[in-house]
Amino acid sequence: MEIEQSDALARTTRVNLLFDFYENLLTEKQRTILAYYYHDDFSLGEIASEFGISRQAVYDNIKRAEGALENYEDKLLLLEKHERLMEAANLLERGVEEIVMKESDRNKLMAVIARLKTAEQTAREGGDDSWQHSRA
Amino acid sequence: MAVRIRLKRMGAHKAPFYRVVVSDSRSPRDGRFIEEIGTYNPVTVPAQVSIDEEKALKWLQTGAQASDTVRNLLSKAGVLKKFHELKQQK
Repeated sequence: MEIEQSDALARTTRVNLLFDFYENLLTEKQRTILAYYYHDDFSLGEIASEFGISRQAVYDNIKRAEGALENYEDKLLLLEKHERLMEAANLLERGVEEIVMKESDRNKLMAVIARLKTAEQTAREGGDDSWQHSRA
Repeated sequence: MAVRIRLKRMGAHKAPFYRVVVSDSRSPRDGRFIEEIGTYNPVTVPAQVSIDEEKALKWLQTGAQASDTVRNLLSKAGVLKKFHELKQQK
């Protein structure tokens, strides 16, 4: 089934992507709380009781961290560039699928496109991606 | 024991993918979940969602609380509407 994204979902998707790019620029506490809220979808109340702080404090923390992420994006545009790159790679992929050519040539081109798509992902190996391991 | 339905982030760096999972509200972040009832992939255009309707309805009817994001997903998938219709029949 296909749907349009909206509201809470769209917010979660955007913040999680920004988080992927700028997570190392946040404070430890901001990172932890954002991960609870956006990676694991805990409610403000649940996070508050987990850390022994008020719901309002959790909310303020999340808003500040989101603001910081948007601020980095305004200046660095890493997510925007990433999205443009992915869009172009997808167009290229569709083109290569449609054009008549030798299957071996197609496979070669597809391999290059795959490299293009994952270039940024592999570039970050060895970084702090501990949240991935816990989700394996 | 409160049971929650949440989105759980999976997938690679910069390529998120979510599972819709049922879990105990007190289970730790990296803890096990009770059951997976669907997936959500925002990377594809348009975003791709798949929900096991039968399981979702079963959990909603037993009082599981869905998070805002999951409510969002369920309502798009038409599951919440079915849930309310079922409730009114009783």
